[in-house]
Amino acid sequence: MELTDQQKDALSEVINIAFARTAASLSELTGHRVLLDVPKVAIFPIDQLGAALAEFLPAEVATVHQVFTGPVTGDALLLLNYDGAITLADLLTDEKGSKRLNTSSREVLTEVGNILLNACLGMFGNLLQVHVSFSVPRMHLETLDALLRSLVIGSEGLRYALVVYTAFRMRDGSVKGYLVIALSVASLDRLIQEAERYEERQWKTN
Amino acid sequence: MMAKILVVDDSGMSRRTLRRILEPAGHQISEAEDGIAALEQYFIDKPDLVLLDLTMTGMYGIEVLSRLREMDSQARVIIASADIQSSTRSLVEEGGASAYINKPFAAEHVLDAVNRVLQGGAGGAD
Repeated sequence: MELTDQQKDALSEVINIAFARTAASLSELTGHRVLLDVPKVAIFPIDQLGAALAEFLPAEVATVHQVFTGPVTGDALLLLNYDGAITLADLLTDEKGSKRLNTSSREVLTEVGNILLNACLGMFGNLLQVHVSFSVPRMHLETLDALLRSLVIGSEGLRYALVVYTAFRMRDGSVKGYLVIALSVASLDRLIQEAERYEERQWKTN
Repeated sequence: MMAKILVVDDSGMSRRTLRRILEPAGHQISEAEDGIAALEQYFIDKPDLVLLDLTMTGMYGIEVLSRLREMDSQARVIIASADIQSSTRSLVEEGGASAYINKPFAAEHVLDAVNRVLQGGAGGAD
């Protein structure tokens, strides 16, 4: 599927704004500066999604997963390196120097994931003027295979997934993570339409 | 103005944060982890104000809002949610919410919204 340069620009702008809002939310939560890489967009065959996500997932990770539905549908994931997840949880609780993610830490990280994923997808919704609904967020500390089984886009007989992702880091890299949005290619059509309308609204207002 | 405030959120972190913001301001806080518990507690305690999350296990906040307003047409409910969409804000305002504040919480925004709603004003945007 080929996008025109204009479509790529409009989509990139929406994605940049949404991910920047996410980084701002994380910074507000923790009081630390968050550095964000330039977001990337790629289309993967569904049966290669596991291998694609495995790039982001070293040995031990903590993942918060939320399903979103509406005119665009898919899975949103916050992926954190395990030690970084502990650091982040410690920042937000009264615990210091934890070695493992306990029940309290997991609960805190689930809420952090909820806030960040809502910030990202909510901003998409605002910019594109579509309404997105969210599932209750779930935290995973299990294998990639188990995580993939819970992805909604893999369960609908779809052949391709659009993946939008960016890496972020804070506290000199001790907390590293990825934001991953996976949606069906059918949702991509709608996303592009709305991104083009968003661009038109920009120059009509200005 | 001291008030009885019911905080409804399945996130312990959010409940703790709101308690830490509101108790020093003199308010009496009770908590509910889900919609059913919230409705029961509202019926029993008759709080002055409810701070209500939207995305919760079991009953979603929109339905809790609707049932609270059925139970008490004067119920004052501030939505406290991570959902930043303006369409969601419109939806809950149509459903009778008095105000809307976003996560992550900022103490001054929370207190400002609570004070405005308790004084009978509209909550406005966060």
